[in-house]
Amino acid sequence: MKDTMTPAPPLRPPHEVMRLGRMGVMMPTRLSFLRVLTRRLCAEQARVDRPHWNICADGYGTAVHSLRLGGRDYALISVSQPLDDASRSDRVIATAWDAAFVLFDGMPGRADIDRVAAQAPQQEAGRFGPRDLVLSRANKSMRLWSEIVAALRAGHQPSRQRIGEIGYIMRTTAVYGNGKFGIADRHLIAGRPELSGAFAAEMLAVYLIRQFSLDLVQHVGQGTLDRSLARHIGVGNATGLGMAPFLVTHPVLLNNWMVARETALARVRAVPDISSDTRARARLLADRVAGHLSEWHVPSTTDEAALRALEAEWRAFRHHLVDLPDDDPYEDIWSRAQNGSTALQELVVAYLLELNGDIVDDLAERMVDPFGPRPQPFAGTDALREAMARDWSWALDIDFDDQEACRRFWYVSADKLEPRLGDRFAEDGAELETPLDNARRVASAFHALPETDQPVSAFLRAYPQHKYGVDRVATCAAHPYSEIRDNLIATTCRPIDMLRCKLSFFGATKFDPKSDLWTRITLAQGAPLGDELSTERDDWWLPVMSP
Amino acid sequence: MSRSWTEVQALATRAAAGAGVPSAQSLAFGAMLTRHLADGGAEAPLHAALHAPERIVALAQRVEEVIEAASISARPVKTVEPDADQRALLISWLTGLPCRTAIDVSGDTVLAALDLTSPSTRERTERLWVSADLDAGLGTLAARTYVADSAASRTMGAGAGLMDTD
Repeated sequence: MKDTMTPAPPLRPPHEVMRLGRMGVMMPTRLSFLRVLTRRLCAEQARVDRPHWNICADGYGTAVHSLRLGGRDYALISVSQPLDDASRSDRVIATAWDAAFVLFDGMPGRADIDRVAAQAPQQEAGRFGPRDLVLSRANKSMRLWSEIVAALRAGHQPSRQRIGEIGYIMRTTAVYGNGKFGIADRHLIAGRPELSGAFAAEMLAVYLIRQFSLDLVQHVGQGTLDRSLARHIGVGNATGLGMAPFLVTHPVLLNNWMVARETALARVRAVPDISSDTRARARLLADRVAGHLSEWHVPSTTDEAALRALEAEWRAFRHHLVDLPDDDPYEDIWSRAQNGSTALQELVVAYLLELNGDIVDDLAERMVDPFGPRPQPFAGTDALREAMARDWSWALDIDFDDQEACRRFWYVSADKLEPRLGDRFAEDGAELETPLDNARRVASAFHALPETDQPVSAFLRAYPQHKYGVDRVATCAAHPYSEIRDNLIATTCRPIDMLRCKLSFFGATKFDPKSDLWTRITLAQGAPLGDELSTERDDWWLPVMSP
Repeated sequence: MSRSWTEVQALATRAAAGAGVPSAQSLAFGAMLTRHLADGGAEAPLHAALHAPERIVALAQRVEEVIEAASISARPVKTVEPDADQRALLISWLTGLPCRTAIDVSGDTVLAALDLTSPSTRERTERLWVSADLDAGLGTLAARTYVADSAASRTMGAGAGLMDTD
């Protein structure tokens, strides 16, 4: 290594990064939350135990999977029950599931298991307490579940190809944390180092649900899966609009996630040279990426075409990765990626981070927001206008008199309290709109500003409805990556892009969009199994099924 | 009734919106209400505010002015509130800000020292206790913000398909 690092380049600017077109092609990285959690599990040499298993031959009953982390016990209580095929739905409006789960703080006793067995299957209709950290539910992927059970019962292993194609045998349809339905608030556990990371408790629940699903299918199949097959089985997830508003309602958190990621990229670009070992690893990882892309197929013809285009683009691009220059090798990769598509660039971001864990992994600690936005008053309305012009010009340029610029409205349904999108000009309820129309609100506040400077409080006294817009401008001025710089109520807005962004931070792979409103994904595919954590090398980014 | 902090804050935010309070002030009201209950504040001022949303907007404006003054001078900001219910909520509102605050009350005068550069050091409680009356009142107001279902909204407006094909 050279004695000195090249000064890190500036971060990519928010107006480039915080666009849905780019957020909608983000990939999981080693800073993704599930990856961060498994690194911690490995560092502590955690081991998943199964102290309770009261499951019948058909796979119904209760189970507990536990592990010790940070000097504390955590346990997943699972409740498996029969479910008619007709009741198996991805939607939040479903009322029954194959399995329900609670991540419990400590080791549950009989009374705890009985309580969870009574409450968890009710999900949103149940009541939970402060020792319940996460609430979730999942359905079986019947197409793979049945095949694995049949194969194991017949005494042989299931098809590698089918496992590669589908990738999970259970698919969660909600993972609730932070106080929902009475479970523990995040502030109760945020001070624990092992759960201080973003969504750490939720990721721990997902990891243990995967272990439960593997144990359950082998129990019902009365056989043992080959380890390589089991490892390639992750947890599915179906995610709809419910996840999208989070990125808007947690601006500082979004900023901190993005800044960590962009800082990581800048650090890597500044690395002046490359060791022979890393050179070899760069080639191996490039091949793995190609393999992963070749195994990633989706039913949607549009998305499948985009995947094949990315696969072809990567196969061409990886020639650059075979013979890297001695000087500034990562900057060379990055600059070459600028000639590629946005999807290729975001894939290259994840690739570069993957190669350089030693200089980026510490950034995971910054991906939290324990305090929320602090008050950031402007000196006056002139300063406010200046900030709007600087950070919100993209919003001020939108013509909101154009119906297509404001056709959509976000709302919460009375039926199941789920976020939905409506057509402002064709459906009722726009007057009850959820405030995700930030661009319009800031533009509206901008046009109401007085010509002569005055205290912002005086402006808000006259126009209290503009406080929301003013607050967003203030937060964005202090946290430049806090705001999605696109119009979220435009006809052209694709909520799926927001989902992809957030899910990539979770560590999701195999995105399988079903519409602009929801997607299926896979989590923990390739992750170490519950008895492999002590020997794992943290090398399961973009796993490949084929040997 | 035992509730999580997040549950109460979210419900109170929606309740304020349902009462007719603008978005940002509703968000701040939710934060204030949880702090108020955690500190043992009476529920009566909350009921009064929710029945007169202009009181909530006025409180938000008062807090805005205190913050603005605190950003100009490090000296404590003096504000006078003769209405006891409003004063109680003003104190909770200031105390619940995400920055470090020190409040001194003398009669109807509130002296607020805000350090806008430091995060709040106030602890949150494990649970909040909400009376059935307040819980029901918040729920009724919050329900005003929900949009009634239609066939279109169920099939076109949400994520995920109604039928499983996995």
